[in-house]
Amino acid sequence: MAKIAFITPDGESVVVNNAEGNLMEIATYNEVEGIDASCGGVCSCGTCHVRVNPNWIDRLGDKTEAEIDMLDFQPGADERSRLCCQIEIGSNHDGLILEVDPL
Amino acid sequence: MSGCPYDPFKEHRKKGVLNAKLDGDEIPMILRHKDLKLRAKDWETYSSDAPFRVPIPAEEDVRTVRQLPLEVDPPEHTEYRAIAEPFFRKPLQADFIQKIENLIEELLYAIGNNEAIEIVSQFSLPLQSRALTYLLGVPESEADELISWGTHVFRTGDGKQKGAQMEAYINAWLDKAEENPGDDFYSALTQAQYRGRHLTREEMAGYCNIMFAGGRDTVINSVSFIMGYFAQHPDRLDQVRENPSFIKTATEEFVRYVSPVTHIGRVCPVETEVHGHKVKEGQRITLGFASANHDETVFDSPEEVRIDRKPNPHVGFGFGIHNCLGAHHARLIMRTLIKKLCERVETLEWVDAKENLEVEEDYTRTVSYESLTLKVQTKSLDAH
Ligand code: HEM
Ligand code: FES
Repeated sequence: MAKIAFITPDGESVVVNNAEGNLMEIATYNEVEGIDASCGGVCSCGTCHVRVNPNWIDRLGDKTEAEIDMLDFQPGADERSRLCCQIEIGSNHDGLILEVDPL
Repeated sequence: MSGCPYDPFKEHRKKGVLNAKLDGDEIPMILRHKDLKLRAKDWETYSSDAPFRVPIPAEEDVRTVRQLPLEVDPPEHTEYRAIAEPFFRKPLQADFIQKIENLIEELLYAIGNNEAIEIVSQFSLPLQSRALTYLLGVPESEADELISWGTHVFRTGDGKQKGAQMEAYINAWLDKAEENPGDDFYSALTQAQYRGRHLTREEMAGYCNIMFAGGRDTVINSVSFIMGYFAQHPDRLDQVRENPSFIKTATEEFVRYVSPVTHIGRVCPVETEVHGHKVKEGQRITLGFASANHDETVFDSPEEVRIDRKPNPHVGFGFGIHNCLGAHHARLIMRTLIKKLCERVETLEWVDAKENLEVEEDYTRTVSYESLTLKVQTKSLDAH
């Protein structure tokens, strides 16, 4: 379990104290503004786009082909971008901060 | 031959493009997943700024208005789309979801007496039409008119006459909304601001036109396919019952496999080339969503329906700036249908079907059913 925070497009922060499991599911469960996750996590919609601090990128696991492809075409995506449906959160993620991309 | 009736493009995909004879023209169809995404993104080379010519065949005979926001490019597209977007997000609201649940239950129980019933006309069409009245925010009784137009407004029966009937219907509603605004879609259009002015009547009608035309056969075909699929694979429905997370993955898989929109066009404002085919200025190409969704370099065994497929980066709802605005609505209908089949249906028995075929000179593609007869037995209500 980890304490993590989402910063929504309008600058609010949503703190999740005991985050564990799929990051998209954590975000939708906590009703994080800006995470639509329309496709339910199969990597076809891009509406679960977040940015992470570069120091964290390596600790979030590798991107799959499908995610790289999706992000390649995501407006405003950069090297800090991830699709949160493709990330699993565990205790080593304590302190992670995610900036939510506007829809 | 590929064998998969939903993917007649397998052999052509090796070449990347099929110079397809469509609409009395030769139109290069983009067949590979990555190629399609690249081109869907490049609106400067592959433009949507072409009234009547984005759908193929072109629709100048069956409508008089440019469909919005389908048939425009940025920067106008961004602003036109933003006007409609809030309405298309209604399916994310709890009360809307509840209404769809109730509707699907009602429709299932109406056909659930284990007598042979034709699903497309008796279930899929009313479901699509009534759900659309919720999205539009108009009385449910309006569905009667929509049902009378048939599965595809422009392509079943006399398209010209029905296109005109639909435009008259839309205009009557817009008149009413101008005089006496409510909280329906038409009223929102009459009040919307575009670049500091109201929308013109033509623009308003353009938004409505795609609501009725685009969101219709696509939803009907998806719903009918789901019914037929679970009638043929009752074990799969049991799997969903055991693992409800399959409701979402199965929905995406049905959209991928069926690909209700086989392809949709773009017009090239400057001469260009696709895989060695020259495309002259003003000519069309087409984005082959169905082929991209069966691209074997992206999807393992694309000819199989795998209800737990994940990841599943399909492009069934399009890709890029024009991706489907109705996707929330369509997904809600499909997901709720699967959920209610799990909860409320005892048995689904296959009786008979006629496939819906898209017949072109270079290929024939199955897209769900033209008619589908099943016996549906719902669970007794008090058993619940
Ligand atoms: C399973 C059902 C559906 C499928 C597979 C589907 C597919 C698509 C596709 C492939 C596009 C992209 C067109 C392009 O790139 O030019 C699109 C756009 C669109 N769809 Fe859907 N659609 C579905 C349902 C609906 C529904 C129910 C509605 C409305 C009630 C709708 C309204 C629209 C609109 C307005 C656009 C244009 C968006 C834009 O240009 O920005 N669709 N759809
Ligand atoms: S939820 Fe659709 S891509 Fe992540």
